[in-house]
Amino acid sequence: MSTTANHYESVDLNASHIGTAARFAWFALALAAAVAAEADVFAQAAAPGGARTFKSCSSVGDASCVVQPASDTPVASEYRESYAAYIDMKNKARGGTTYTRSDYAKMPDWSGIWTRADLLKFDPAAPGGPFSTQTTAVLTPKYEAAYRAKLRDVANGKEWDQLSDCLPSGYPRWLTEPFLREFILTPQETWMINEQQSETRRVYTDGRGHLPASDAKPLWTGDSIGFWDGDTLVVHTISVTHGQYQRNEPDYSSATSTVERMRMTSPDVIEDDVTVWDPKGLQKPWHVVNHFARVKLPNTRIDMWSCEANNNVIRTADGSSQFVLPGETVTIQRPYRDPESFYLTDEQKKLFQDELGGAQ
Amino acid sequence: MRATLVAGLVLSALASPVLAHHSGAMYDDKKEITLTGVVKEFQYTNPHSWLFVAVTNADGSVTNWGFESEGPSTLGRAGINKSDLPPGTKITITGHPMKDGRPAASWMHATRADGKEFNPFAGFVNR
Repeated sequence: MSTTANHYESVDLNASHIGTAARFAWFALALAAAVAAEADVFAQAAAPGGARTFKSCSSVGDASCVVQPASDTPVASEYRESYAAYIDMKNKARGGTTYTRSDYAKMPDWSGIWTRADLLKFDPAAPGGPFSTQTTAVLTPKYEAAYRAKLRDVANGKEWDQLSDCLPSGYPRWLTEPFLREFILTPQETWMINEQQSETRRVYTDGRGHLPASDAKPLWTGDSIGFWDGDTLVVHTISVTHGQYQRNEPDYSSATSTVERMRMTSPDVIEDDVTVWDPKGLQKPWHVVNHFARVKLPNTRIDMWSCEANNNVIRTADGSSQFVLPGETVTIQRPYRDPESFYLTDEQKKLFQDELGGAQ
Repeated sequence: MRATLVAGLVLSALASPVLAHHSGAMYDDKKEITLTGVVKEFQYTNPHSWLFVAVTNADGSVTNWGFESEGPSTLGRAGINKSDLPPGTKITITGHPMKDGRPAASWMHATRADGKEFNPFAGFVNR
């Protein structure tokens, strides 16, 4: 195996039929050394007498208790604005409605199977229809340039999606995936399950705070805490993994955070009112309203989704997407996969350069 | 080969080869190909399904054409079940062909010999 520093699989599909001599193009990428971000924290005012840790216990009692971050655990400064908005909502809701196991029946009922009602746009109200490249996001110049570069690549037939590496969509892209959903509500936490790769968001409503900045790291579905404001689930999410809102949408950085207000607006619709903050990618918060519609078809269930069950998509030498078809054989010379970056496009590697720090 | 290449606009926005798990860069969304053949295999799988259709060419040889679509839950919502298209089923199927000429396409719509129609994109209609 070559030890040349390469970044992704190089596959030659220019030959009329694969299996013949393959050509390999190599890409050398020089990524700057990572800049270690200091854990600059934003100290939310602690409630008088508030404990620094929090015990999350089940009905079993003390033996089940696990120490979790206190509700007033400070968050990193890049989340300052979204956290302040979230805390303001919580204060207006007088801390929110606390449910217990014994009054579970009083909680909203979001059972059933749901699907995204708005196709692929992160902002369904954006002009131009579901496949439009128009966005209502006010991007920073750097992210605007990266978006235009991505669109040019796509127009030239060059496109890669991390889903083709069987990686998760990540949040907030999770919102735009057009597949089935389940919302599992319990007093202590809510699970939001996307059928796609069984990708599950966990929203803790037991009173815990976010993980302290010293323990935080980018997570596919982020670090979500929430509370119930009547029948509305209010969620604050931080510590996401950088990515794209959708293939025809801009990118977002790992400094992204969101506040969501989710509620059932009719028996067949759950509304998710989302505001996104991204100090690197957005000039101002991006407000969108998404919807999930109840699926009523008989016999509908969510099954375990294994992405590898039938994945014959490969990445070409020029960074685009291709298939291996029945009867074909391709030779793939696969270099070391840096876990932070192997699935990114060349444009994303440049865009997220300050967030990458692995053994390139 | 009973193939008809039609250059032109896509039928509708939903007929675009937008597939959720990967780019549609390998398909030519300005062209359509319509073939008649016999179902060889229906891979009713995630992340995508593949319907393989054996098409007899003019010289008597047979080409195994692959038509890609979404996974089981989306097809199910479009009313397309694995049992609808068992091996041996005669079918006429239309899709956006691959740019490089290999025998595969994104599945737009199909009609079984008995007239039943199969439109995978109906799976994204809320119901």
